[in-house]
Amino acid sequence: MSEVKISAEPRTEFGKGGARRTRRAGKVPAVLYGHGEKPQHIALPAREFAAAIRHGGLNQIFAIDIAGAATTLALAKAIQRDPIRDTFEHVDLIIVKRGEKVTVEVPVHLVGEAARGTLVVTENQTLTVNAEALHLPEYLEASIEGLEGGSRVTAADVTLPGGTELAADPELVIAMVTVAPSAEQLEGETAEEAPAEAAEEPAEAAAQA
Amino acid sequence: MLMPRKPPKGFRKPHHPSRTGASKGGNRVVFGEFGIQALEPAYVTNRQIESARIAMTRHIKRGGKVWITVFPDQALTKKPAETRMGSGKGSPEWWVANVKPGRVLFEMSFPNETIAREAMRRAIHKLPMKCRIVTREVGEV
Repeated sequence: MSEVKISAEPRTEFGKGGARRTRRAGKVPAVLYGHGEKPQHIALPAREFAAAIRHGGLNQIFAIDIAGAATTLALAKAIQRDPIRDTFEHVDLIIVKRGEKVTVEVPVHLVGEAARGTLVVTENQTLTVNAEALHLPEYLEASIEGLEGGSRVTAADVTLPGGTELAADPELVIAMVTVAPSAEQLEGETAEEAPAEAAEEPAEAAAQA
Repeated sequence: MLMPRKPPKGFRKPHHPSRTGASKGGNRVVFGEFGIQALEPAYVTNRQIESARIAMTRHIKRGGKVWITVFPDQALTKKPAETRMGSGKGSPEWWVANVKPGRVLFEMSFPNETIAREAMRRAIHKLPMKCRIVTREVGEV
């Protein structure tokens, strides 16, 4: 994954009011820290930052140029979003060095198709791995091809690219393949629910009276 | 139908829960791949939750899984019709979940996105507020 160059400007005003003014100006308030450096409060351009995260994922490496000074490599450590508007409210960026190994969560893609009549339930969509900061994998792949009901895919079954080590428990379940309920079983469930509901209602009425 | 087993003493006839503000948690899809997110505040009754769940599960038939991520734990009371004011608070009538904007109510895991979206669209029609379908963002921090 290549780094994305982004220009930032230092933030001079803080708190709720200052942060809101920064957001209204089309910027995202952020803080940059790590490697024993003093935390720097910066503002990132919202559009460019959102585009970088959308294309490169949450493990995107940024080359941050703060007001024309030296460029710093950083990785998003925590992102706060507005749940309704889906905008970025604040970003924590951690400084990384070239060649340094970092621990990140990488998405796992399930490839292939399980056997017919099975249901694949994803237990964990990401896996914690150690990898070189500038060569983080975008995603990992785990095959579910031809798996029968009752089988499971664990972290140890995921194919890791070179230079990437597993940081999670190898027994961590990524996906489980179960036998899908038949149409008769589903009908049976619905039929069971209906009398149970009917029995509840008179009991409620009696309790209220 | 979802409801508490027995309301704790002092919570049988509570005041109406607050409807202001946005949801503080449960705003993201965490179990399945798709979710129904509320865009307006509402009291969602256990009947509406059940109705939405049935609409969804009947459409997907098999091969999927549905999670309900809200619970109707608040009782709302009602006085009988043609009763004069006073004489104490009415009797519990509904069990509701106090849903605020941003809250994910249902989650679903299904291999076919088109069918999953149609099932969720049908479920949204059973709910008393504006909702939207959201997808899980992998690796979110």
